[in-house]
Amino acid sequence: MKKGSLWSWFWVALGAIYLLLPLTGTFIFSLRAKKDTLSFVAYQNAFSDPKFLESFGFSVLMALLTIIVSLLITVPTAYWVQLRLPRLRPVVELLTLLPFVIPAVVLVFGLIRIYSRPPLALTGSSFTSNILLIAGYTVLSLPYMYRAVDNGLRTIDIRTLTEAAQSLGAGWPTIILQVIFPNLRGALLSGAFLTFAIVIGELVLAAFLARPAFGPYLALLGQNRAYEPAALAIVSFALTWACVGLIQFLGRGKTDRDRGLAGPG
Amino acid sequence: MTFLELTNIRKDFGPVTAVDAFNLQVTGGEFISFLGPSGCGKTTTLRMIAGFEKPTAGQIKIGNNDVTFAPPNQRNIGMVFQSYALFPNMTVAGNIGFGLKIAGTPQNDIKQRVDEMLALIHLPNFGDRYPYQLSGGQQQRVALARALAIRPQLLLLDEPLSALDAKIRLELRSEIRRIQQELGITTIYVTHDQEEALSLSDRIVVMNKGKVEQVGTPFEIYNYPQTQFVASFVGMLNQLHCTVANAAQGVLLYQNQPINTGAALAYADGTAVNVLLRPEELHFGNGHGDNQLTGRIETVSFLGATVRVQLNIGDTTLTMDVQNERQLELPRAGQTQVVSFPPHACWVMSHNGSGQ
Amino acid sequence: MAQIAQKDAPRPVMAGLKRANISWAWLGVAPFFLFAFAFMILPALSLFTGSFVDRQGSFTLDNIIGLSQPFILNAYWLSIKISLVTAIAGGLLGFFLAYAVTVGGLPLPIRNVLMTFSGVASNFAGVPLAFAFIATLGRVGFVTVLLKSLLGINIYDAGFNLYSFTGLSLTYMYFQFPLMVLIITPALDGLKREWREAAENLGASNWHYWRYVALPILLPSLLGTMILLFGNSFGAYATAFALTGGSLNLVPIVIGAQIRGDVLNNPGLGYALALGMVVVMAISIAGYTALQRKTERWLR
Repeated sequence: MKKGSLWSWFWVALGAIYLLLPLTGTFIFSLRAKKDTLSFVAYQNAFSDPKFLESFGFSVLMALLTIIVSLLITVPTAYWVQLRLPRLRPVVELLTLLPFVIPAVVLVFGLIRIYSRPPLALTGSSFTSNILLIAGYTVLSLPYMYRAVDNGLRTIDIRTLTEAAQSLGAGWPTIILQVIFPNLRGALLSGAFLTFAIVIGELVLAAFLARPAFGPYLALLGQNRAYEPAALAIVSFALTWACVGLIQFLGRGKTDRDRGLAGPG
Repeated sequence: MTFLELTNIRKDFGPVTAVDAFNLQVTGGEFISFLGPSGCGKTTTLRMIAGFEKPTAGQIKIGNNDVTFAPPNQRNIGMVFQSYALFPNMTVAGNIGFGLKIAGTPQNDIKQRVDEMLALIHLPNFGDRYPYQLSGGQQQRVALARALAIRPQLLLLDEPLSALDAKIRLELRSEIRRIQQELGITTIYVTHDQEEALSLSDRIVVMNKGKVEQVGTPFEIYNYPQTQFVASFVGMLNQLHCTVANAAQGVLLYQNQPINTGAALAYADGTAVNVLLRPEELHFGNGHGDNQLTGRIETVSFLGATVRVQLNIGDTTLTMDVQNERQLELPRAGQTQVVSFPPHACWVMSHNGSGQ
Repeated sequence: MAQIAQKDAPRPVMAGLKRANISWAWLGVAPFFLFAFAFMILPALSLFTGSFVDRQGSFTLDNIIGLSQPFILNAYWLSIKISLVTAIAGGLLGFFLAYAVTVGGLPLPIRNVLMTFSGVASNFAGVPLAFAFIATLGRVGFVTVLLKSLLGINIYDAGFNLYSFTGLSLTYMYFQFPLMVLIITPALDGLKREWREAAENLGASNWHYWRYVALPILLPSLLGTMILLFGNSFGAYATAFALTGGSLNLVPIVIGAQIRGDVLNNPGLGYALALGMVVVMAISIAGYTALQRKTERWLR
């Protein structure tokens, strides 16, 4: 196995082409909206569509709310499981694997079945439908958020830190605010950015629950226009890149598995 | 008869010279240790013998073959790594028999040899276990068996005991020596633990910063260190700064006190020298030789078999080890104490580090 | 009396404290369990029960039996086919790529770029990905036009069609092989240098090392990740819908159509379909987890 053998370069070249070609192609395609010239007309059109801002804003709002709900649910759970209820760990981890077993299309099927009829009717008004949407998004992001928080807690050895703080006389509010959260900040942000990336482009839940999110807007655009979808695909890619880039920046030195970026393992 | 010969070995990693001017001749069946601090080049030299690094200059001969540039899988050398490096996907038997399987040995012969090896390392029923089911000490024994199964012409061990508990280390240490002597195999052992090197080796190569400081038997290395480094690296050491008073009669002056070294010195009168004294050669009271020093006891540490006393004699503090006895009355800090030592306990070394 | 009372006094307080601590803990994890029950377990259960119920609400196995009708079987077969193809192809490509930047000895910056890109690409699935491939390999896509103008080759005339099984497979590959790269790279890193050296020492050639040591050690991880890729592809909806508009009858697409408007004329059948999908995903995740655990045990 010589260093940097020919085969290695070949595979990397192949991988690079596969990854870069669609992006370059899409980018150049998106510049061709005006005949015979390269311009950013498609981008202008896309951004000036009022529905774009509406749906994008809606999705951003949903993402932020999902992040909050997700944090509120996962952080205490991960904390107490590590500190006091270790026997619950297998149960909790199994539950965080469930979203992989129940893909979005199946999840929304079940959600509609239960929550569209009284007494649990949530699909009646937009407000309650949004609640259902946020709940669905929280489910989708649960594995990643939980793993990010859990790994973060494990890295900072929360048990020892808590005991050290207690032995120095700190009460619970102090421990939570001054010991746990500052040390968890990186992990929490990582989880938040991953959730953001998942929610922004999500199609299935939003479409089947008839919510005016960015995903359905994109799908509709794809059926009617040619160049604007390509432009928004590039924008979407840049957004995902920003999220992943920030996650990697926050987790300098840890592996992608630790940061929750790769699969359920 | 020389079996392994390293001539003028040198290894550069870019601008850094890791090993330089390394010469060694090893007789068949000898147990040699490379001893030195981290970064002294001992592991690099071992890896060159194994073939994992190519020397920048110099020659390595095993038997009568020049193996300097031969690939590792053609040298028939057995190696034991610090991290055991057992193949996790194979059983103990699979690991031990691996080299033979590669060589195409028939199944029956492999089985027989594996059983032999398991008996040799005292783990006769462990053939079907996997590495993750074994303790550290057991894994290392299997690693040893694996290296020996192929009947290598040379056995190399790279700090094999560093990752183990103290007690296991002691057990395994004697195991390794026993097996080596039983098989009569030429062995090179790399370690930074001087006790290991001293107790196991026929000869020790003390290394520092890529160079050989001294080659000799354990007794020679300990009692007749040739350089300042060897003297201070191996065992504890007291140093007294003296000047030569009378070279012909071997008398030195320490803080206006005469020190008799018992033999003529090769230095001119008035030269500044160091006298090196081992802690065990200093004794309480004035009945142990005509060299006496007086000081104030600073600390007394009871180590079990030894009592270690720190004695402040003015410009330096002596460390002395006194053998424990049940009726020993332990000295106390603050007491004044006279210590004495015979002339032959003195090892004189010039200031730039060559010994006498 | 007073002394005995004093001796006993601390213990009830301590026990009380301990009890209080455990109570706080249970309180703390309650929201999670409530949420999981309300929005994961309940929906899943309702699908489960729905599969065994007919229009009148009584128990029946007809829906499960109904899964064997040709239309449904074809849907499963198509989903399985695309998942197998992209799992194996994506798995192999990802493995060779990961190999190239770890053992293959390429410079570190290349590895870092690959890792970042893989992180992005594996999360890039869905509508934008479909758009990107349409813009690249669609009828007037960038590459299509390029090939026509530069080399005179019209891939659509030659039989290629992005809006087909092949096209969708190519699109899925975009997020499949980066996922393999991300997961298998740590396993490749975990191949200790000493194993290779020990093997060489014992006379093994490069081929011997890979055949007897490295590949067997990597196999659980490789297999497990390919199973994960299989599940990943099987459950995907958005990319397929955005690319083929529902013309390709994959199981998720059929379920989607069923949600919209009971195309199967039998709600129970729809639920059975969803149940079947959950079963496939559950087997896939279980297989992946079991094999990962095996790898971790070996590479400890």
